[in-house]
Amino acid sequence: MSIDTAVVLAAGEGTRLRPLTRNRPKPMLPAANRPIMEYVFDALVAADVRRIVVVVGYKRDRVQDHFGPTYDGVDLKYVTQHKQLGSGHALLQARHAVDGPALVVNGDRVIDANIVRDVCDEFERSGEPTMAVLERPETSQYGAVVLHEGDVSQLVEKPDTDEYRLINAGVYAFEPSIFAAIDDTERADGELALTDTIGDLMDAGRVRGVRTEGMWVDATYPWDLLTVADEVLARGHVDEPQREGQVWVDPAANVHETAILQGPVVVGPDCEVGPGAVVGANTALGQNVTVGANATVRNSVLDTDTRVESGSTLIDAVTGQDVTLGAGTVVPGGPADVRIGQTVFEDRRLGAVVADRVVAEGDASFSPGTLVGPGAHIGTSVRASGTVVGGAEVVR
Amino acid sequence: MCGIIGCVGRDGETLDVLVHGLSKLEYRGYDSAGVALSGDRVEICKQSGKIEELRDALESRTLGGAAGIGHTRWSTHGPPTDENAHPHLDCTGGVAVVHNGIIENYQALRDELVSAGHTFKSDTDTEVVPHLIEDALADGADNEAAVREAIARLEGSYAVAVVLSGDDTIYAARNDSPLVLGLDDDAYYLASDVPAFRDFTDQVIYLADGEFATLRADGWTVSDVDGEVVDKDVDTVDWDPEDTGKSGYDHFMLKEIHEQPRAIRQCLRGRVDEMSAQVDIGDLGGLSPTGVQFVACGTSYHAALYGAQLLRNAGIPAQTFLGSEYATSPPPIGDALVVGVTQSGETADTLSALREARKRGARTLAVTNTVGSTAARECDHALYIRAGPEIGVAASKTFASQLAALNLFALGTTRVDGKRDIISALRDLPSNIQAILDESKAEAVAEEYVDSDAYFFIGRGHQYPVALEGALKMKEITYKHAEGFAAGELKHGPLALVTQDTPVFAVVTGDGEMARKTIGNVKEVEARDAPVVAVTDGQSDVERYADAVLEVPETHPQAAAVLANVQLQLVSYHVADKLGRSIDKPRNLAKSVTVE
Repeated sequence: MSIDTAVVLAAGEGTRLRPLTRNRPKPMLPAANRPIMEYVFDALVAADVRRIVVVVGYKRDRVQDHFGPTYDGVDLKYVTQHKQLGSGHALLQARHAVDGPALVVNGDRVIDANIVRDVCDEFERSGEPTMAVLERPETSQYGAVVLHEGDVSQLVEKPDTDEYRLINAGVYAFEPSIFAAIDDTERADGELALTDTIGDLMDAGRVRGVRTEGMWVDATYPWDLLTVADEVLARGHVDEPQREGQVWVDPAANVHETAILQGPVVVGPDCEVGPGAVVGANTALGQNVTVGANATVRNSVLDTDTRVESGSTLIDAVTGQDVTLGAGTVVPGGPADVRIGQTVFEDRRLGAVVADRVVAEGDASFSPGTLVGPGAHIGTSVRASGTVVGGAEVVR
Repeated sequence: MCGIIGCVGRDGETLDVLVHGLSKLEYRGYDSAGVALSGDRVEICKQSGKIEELRDALESRTLGGAAGIGHTRWSTHGPPTDENAHPHLDCTGGVAVVHNGIIENYQALRDELVSAGHTFKSDTDTEVVPHLIEDALADGADNEAAVREAIARLEGSYAVAVVLSGDDTIYAARNDSPLVLGLDDDAYYLASDVPAFRDFTDQVIYLADGEFATLRADGWTVSDVDGEVVDKDVDTVDWDPEDTGKSGYDHFMLKEIHEQPRAIRQCLRGRVDEMSAQVDIGDLGGLSPTGVQFVACGTSYHAALYGAQLLRNAGIPAQTFLGSEYATSPPPIGDALVVGVTQSGETADTLSALREARKRGARTLAVTNTVGSTAARECDHALYIRAGPEIGVAASKTFASQLAALNLFALGTTRVDGKRDIISALRDLPSNIQAILDESKAEAVAEEYVDSDAYFFIGRGHQYPVALEGALKMKEITYKHAEGFAAGELKHGPLALVTQDTPVFAVVTGDGEMARKTIGNVKEVEARDAPVVAVTDGQSDVERYADAVLEVPETHPQAAAVLANVQLQLVSYHVADKLGRSIDKPRNLAKSVTVE
């Protein structure tokens, strides 16, 4: 039988993407100018899923407010994971909303319908628990997989060797018996990981791994949103109508006739782009973004309600929602060494990450790799660098 | 004030369709409900209480029929009892009628029918209709003619639907009460409002006053009073059916409070241009009124008070009137444009005020959320607030959208100064509301003051209508005593009510003269030991005199009203939630008040 139900896991914060996750979970961060999870839903709908159960938790209001009761004609049912106790525990919350075989998908990675269809086909053919497997170089950040004649023979979380080349894509199909299997899984550090349950299933029988290709893009750190946007734009996976080449502009955006849009670029609804502004390439403007006269924005992701006043220059910048950058703001762009906690990430393409509701007065500049926490206030002519904590008041 | 549903062509599913439709209409009133299905004979089931109780009563019954009608009632004539629930039958039991509205000459008709030997079982005005039909049938009229004859006798407002035994047809008519047809491939629906059948079709026909509809499994016709067929436009509605779902929230009201950023975006979309400091509100832009009279009721009245302020700011004389008062004692209108603010577009008091104005030759404008509503069709102009469907009986997002739309109206029709700043502030509203939703401490404030004796709300200028609205919301959903005052009025009487058990919510934004004077009023209540909750943008020092503070982002004074209101909505919601109130369906209230 075909699978018409999917459970989407969207309860976790995604702490490595702080400070952008202060007000919303990772699935709601922008892939170009739409929330990551819209891509997940698009893939599910295209694969004929008719019912989606969304497991929400951290800042669940934001998920519910954005998607409401339906997505593209498909019913959404929300269940809440009150404490984030692992992916298995998250899936358990959907138990009473699922009465047949179901897809289980992480809500925080951009996928396309091919991956979903491949999993469905294999599950329907074999009747066994099935996971999507992708060939990726960065196995050390994910679950590494070894396949033997289509069966998953090894599943190693975040291996510290680079001998593996396949990863678990986080797209599964299960019978409802998965819930009992999670019940029987031993907790590790108080958490129930879905991959531990899959390990148990492998010991007890078979778990199929289906090799698949297609779009699969993940953001681990804030600057990854820039490469996610590049990939999404390169594939033209945007909602807005195409104006020319790789330029997509919403009909309800207001772009001055003397402004220049350099593709790939997407301009969301209600945006205003002032005279003489240059936006793009590789740039995504969310809803209601304002780019003032003669401003330049390149290789950047500006999320909903961001205001960039006239004469500013932003390169390799990621802004959260409702960010205001005063006239003459300068983000000269990466590469940079970025410190997160005790780890230094060298040579990253990052101008600055400016989290939700930051206000920078005019003439501020941001050294390459600056991270600004939510609600910080950057005074006139400040030169910001390193990490500015949320709510901070920075004056020259 | 009631909801009607009807369905033909769904054979075995008729009953399910009716009950489903009634559940979608419950917001219109819910003290009793019932259904009637016609096959060889007419079978009915009706019950006082909510739809769930009707559902329970139906469990032990098997009702079948090709045509069916249903009704959810909100009492006007007679208490909510099983007998008074619709549908109502004639003496033979072969005619069943549901009705929304008020039949003004029902007493005379009833006396006449009783003296002719008819037996009445209920206190309702509606029951005269089946007996009138019975009489006409007895005189030899066919079914359609009998229904037409009966309807011709009615005075007042009505949307009526009728089924008769041995006839797979629904007959329906409207006058001053909403009625809309839904068309599917081989089934037809009728209802007071689209959500009742929106799960089945998006093709609709809005009936006009005086029109008569017949629906059979094999087709439909709409005709006028004389029986001449009327060519009707078929409209497509673009609401998602499940927009009526709660999407993970416990109550529609909380969902709708959270929908405000989106509602405002929709209201502004394509209408504002900050770069060139212009708004585009279509043909309304050419109005340039020399005077404006607003008419409205309830929450919409508060929005209208605010709208009048905006016009006066622009130098246009503007006044606000309660719909019910204006309808019965209208002021001189002169050249004024008369603007009706009504979410549903069906508010009887507002419609009646607008009709009074039209009768006197005034131009009229409807500011409404409902395309195809009576107000939108009857007025010369319509400005849609585009908030999307609102299910919670207590208005929340539609108030915010009304304020935004009234700003567009003032910007588009007057030469007010500082248009760019206002447009900029309007464009910032969605994110500013989101900031409040993300960070509000309203629930803690509600927890602290949930046991209070009464709640008072004060504000000046644009925050005065917000104070009134804050109090109305508190009354509606918590059933607690609450009053809103212009801050300066407190000392002229209401101060006598203030005690240590009556928190005062003071809305103080900006740091100008208005804020200073309101802070003076705050000190008056503080001196009487009343707890003070300040709703403020932090520009003034009102926090020094407050026991609790609810913050709003700093913005233009006109936009500040929308923001302060969000905090007050949340306080009322959380107080009501802690008290376990029926938040989406408060007692004695209904969503759109279609009786005067």
